[in-house]
Amino acid sequence: MTLDTAPHTSPTTIAQLVGHRTTETFALLDEESKREIRRALLHAVCIPGYQVPFGSREMPVARGWGSGGLQVTLACVGSDDAVKVIDQGDDEGVNAVNLRRLVTMSTGIDETTEVYEATLIQSRHRIPEDDMNENHILILQVPVPEPLRGIERDIRELARMHSEADYSRMWVSLYEDKVRNGVITQSTGYPCLVASRYIVATTPIPRWDIPRLHQSKFLTLFGAGREKRVYAIPPYTDVEPLTFEDVPFEVESADGATCRLCGSSESFLVEMPGKQESWSCSDTAWCRRQRNT
Amino acid sequence: MSQTEEHMTSIHVPSPIIQVRNLGKYYGNFDPAMIERTGPEHGTARDHVTASIVAAWGVNFDVAAGEALGIVGESGSGKSTVLRCIAGDVAASTGDVRLAPFEDGNVNILDLDPSARRQLRINTLSVVYQDPAEGLALGVTAGGNIADPLTAAGWRNFGSIRDRARELLARTEVPLDRMDDIVRNFSGGMRQRVQIARALANKPPILLLDEPTTGLDASVASGVLDLIRQLLEELQVAAIVVSHDFGVIEMLTERCLVMQHGRVVEDALTDQLLEDPHHPYSQKLVAAART
Amino acid sequence: MGYAAARGGLNAILTAENLVRRLRDLDPSERIELDQFTGRLRLLVDRVMGESGLWAPELAAMALCQGEGDLIEAVHLLRAYKSTLGRLDTAIPLHANDIQLLRRVVPAFREPGGPQILGRSTDYTARMLTTTDRDIVDASDSTTTLDTALKTRPSNSRMSDVLRDMDLLVDRRRTDDPEPFDITRTPAKPPAPRSALLSSMARAETGALVNQWYRNILGPDGYLHEVTLGEVRHGKLPINVRHPMTGGSVNIGSFRATEVEAIEDLNGSEEDRTRFDVGYGFCFGHNERKAIAMANLDIACYRDGAKSGLEQSLLMTTDGLDSAGFLEHLKLPHYVTFRSMVERKVAVRRVADGSK
Repeated sequence: MTLDTAPHTSPTTIAQLVGHRTTETFALLDEESKREIRRALLHAVCIPGYQVPFGSREMPVARGWGSGGLQVTLACVGSDDAVKVIDQGDDEGVNAVNLRRLVTMSTGIDETTEVYEATLIQSRHRIPEDDMNENHILILQVPVPEPLRGIERDIRELARMHSEADYSRMWVSLYEDKVRNGVITQSTGYPCLVASRYIVATTPIPRWDIPRLHQSKFLTLFGAGREKRVYAIPPYTDVEPLTFEDVPFEVESADGATCRLCGSSESFLVEMPGKQESWSCSDTAWCRRQRNT
Repeated sequence: MSQTEEHMTSIHVPSPIIQVRNLGKYYGNFDPAMIERTGPEHGTARDHVTASIVAAWGVNFDVAAGEALGIVGESGSGKSTVLRCIAGDVAASTGDVRLAPFEDGNVNILDLDPSARRQLRINTLSVVYQDPAEGLALGVTAGGNIADPLTAAGWRNFGSIRDRARELLARTEVPLDRMDDIVRNFSGGMRQRVQIARALANKPPILLLDEPTTGLDASVASGVLDLIRQLLEELQVAAIVVSHDFGVIEMLTERCLVMQHGRVVEDALTDQLLEDPHHPYSQKLVAAART
Repeated sequence: MGYAAARGGLNAILTAENLVRRLRDLDPSERIELDQFTGRLRLLVDRVMGESGLWAPELAAMALCQGEGDLIEAVHLLRAYKSTLGRLDTAIPLHANDIQLLRRVVPAFREPGGPQILGRSTDYTARMLTTTDRDIVDASDSTTTLDTALKTRPSNSRMSDVLRDMDLLVDRRRTDDPEPFDITRTPAKPPAPRSALLSSMARAETGALVNQWYRNILGPDGYLHEVTLGEVRHGKLPINVRHPMTGGSVNIGSFRATEVEAIEDLNGSEEDRTRFDVGYGFCFGHNERKAIAMANLDIACYRDGAKSGLEQSLLMTTDGLDSAGFLEHLKLPHYVTFRSMVERKVAVRRVADGSK
């Protein structure tokens, strides 16, 4: 990532003040805004799992549609980056396309569908199947950053619970879930304990992807634009899905189904319901590579 | 010596589990002279000059291991205030309270921050409230209410949590087939038993009970009272029992304090107090209980 | 074909954009000029500026045109545009008494001091839809006193000052909130200073504030009662900045705003029942219902003292873009989530069947 270094001279007239501030912006946002977001991200990296408030700007995409992920990407991007954007694992999803072109149009950087070519990967609801390493930053779009939202509504009480690491009501809700249903029924966005301190909302990524976060080589940044918070899981951090020691954490099972395109059973599959159920890889780029090699 | 002080026998015990010194709580503005303007001699806890209320003042006592101390008085006497200050539900205005099982008795628990206080309430000191709804989550199952303090203490094995919950519910005579029912669907007496089970989950050395059977139907209350008596004997915890009802105090405690208008007016062995109360107010209370 | 899995997603987007643009721009009706918005749909333009937090009538008109009249769409366009503009400066604080009044009513008194101007308002107009060609007013019609009516007048009296002089107002002036909270730089959440609450409401969606007020009057969990309005004002205010060299005040323009003061009867046991308190409402442009709702909610929130969730509701659920965006995000693909939910249902059913 390279940083913009524009020369700064103090303006002495209002005309100069205006001229100074209306030069072409790199990556949609002005430098001051990007700096603010990066400062918030640094806080987040220093306190893994802690939700850092930030002055979230309105973006050309609506709140709830990736404005946070986009701000994180735009704050991190430099002219030598290459960006991959996926939604549900698909580079061609219309929202992913829209976000990707906003990034490339405002920066001129390269775009790619291949993980190994990318440096920034912005994603909604999936971690790419390919391994990522120290050269990657994964940026996840977050609809609801608060993992305890289901058990508490009051903002002040939520702040207290996190600050005192008082997660007892979360454990009670897991106990009740197991008692009532026989299994823990949390589907996506499974709550995890990060660095043995904060419980985080892992965004609606499937349980399938959760183990990839634990001791990862890559940095994961979480952007919640509407709720105006960012958080981070730095590389080589412990990420433990909350469960009882005698109730194993279960990823999604597909009962032996395989991808109808590439034959894989090693990737997260999504189904086309119908008379003959057919499954395919959610990660379209990965699937395509399996077929081509 | 005032009439009040005449009737104070020694309240200090060697190696107390609970040590309370100078516990006080007022509401409103503080004026040192208001202490002298309130109390049993003035027939009120309310200071007519500042309109402040001296809910409790100058409370001293010890509780030994395995002992249950009673605090008796009419409503407004300050007895519940004392319990809530020790529990941490109310911020005391002044005082020094030490618990032997917590930091070897070297810390005044009234100074604890919320986090440390929470730890204290998980591992060392449990409270049973008059209204079970205050000590339970009504929308959670009986087992879940017990799982709460267990997981807070670090229990992470579902099977073990279930076993311990069953054990406690059996001991408090809650039918095990109701373990997975939410507490809102339980009767008052059953809710109280679940509250007791939950209070005992982490084997606390100290138990505070605030009017534990007031508000229960008479038929149900005696069963719960008997359960508490057995448990206190079995577990040998240090306990404080607050009640306006001498029957409860008599059944559960060996020693007790009488409070009036925020002050302790008498303390004695429970049997002796009932037989031969010294302070006029104690006499009045005992007489009323006997009729 | 699922729209998320469409090959050539970019083509799908470009086609959709093209369709919108063509149907909008090539509609057979006359093109709309921007001054038709600012001139003939002024209240709509004012509302967009108020909800964007940006005073820029021509840009608001452009946004309405581009958004085909969708208010939230126009607000989004303006706010996203604002994000590309760095902050030049902060205006010198102004006193609300610097207002040049276009309209002022004082419901609390029959003859308040200072001008009472009914002004440009349809409040007492009969709402009868004119379906036939109505008589267009002629500019040379001498029976109209347009010039005098549109002249602004300074305010020389304010109801809250009158009450204060009568010692009927509690003094709630504070010294611990010197710098106004900037909600565009720091997200506000409870407990928040009053400036955060007022800024959030000033920029809130009009319907959200009106609804918050009404449901607290009539809804199942509400507890508000109605205030008496002290001031309802619409007028012009100056924008002054400090000259970078001389440090002197320089006027760089003006804007219009609606300002409301609501007088609240104090009757709580912990309150000073010998006095009144005041709630304050203020927003860009001419938008009386928003400012009135805001004033009501300001004082309600203060008196509530964080007992109910009102402060959280006002700070966190009244922004038009946040609420509409999150609602409409449900249209985005959710098939990964859904597949995971189906899997859990199967798992629960297996346990249930197994235990039979």
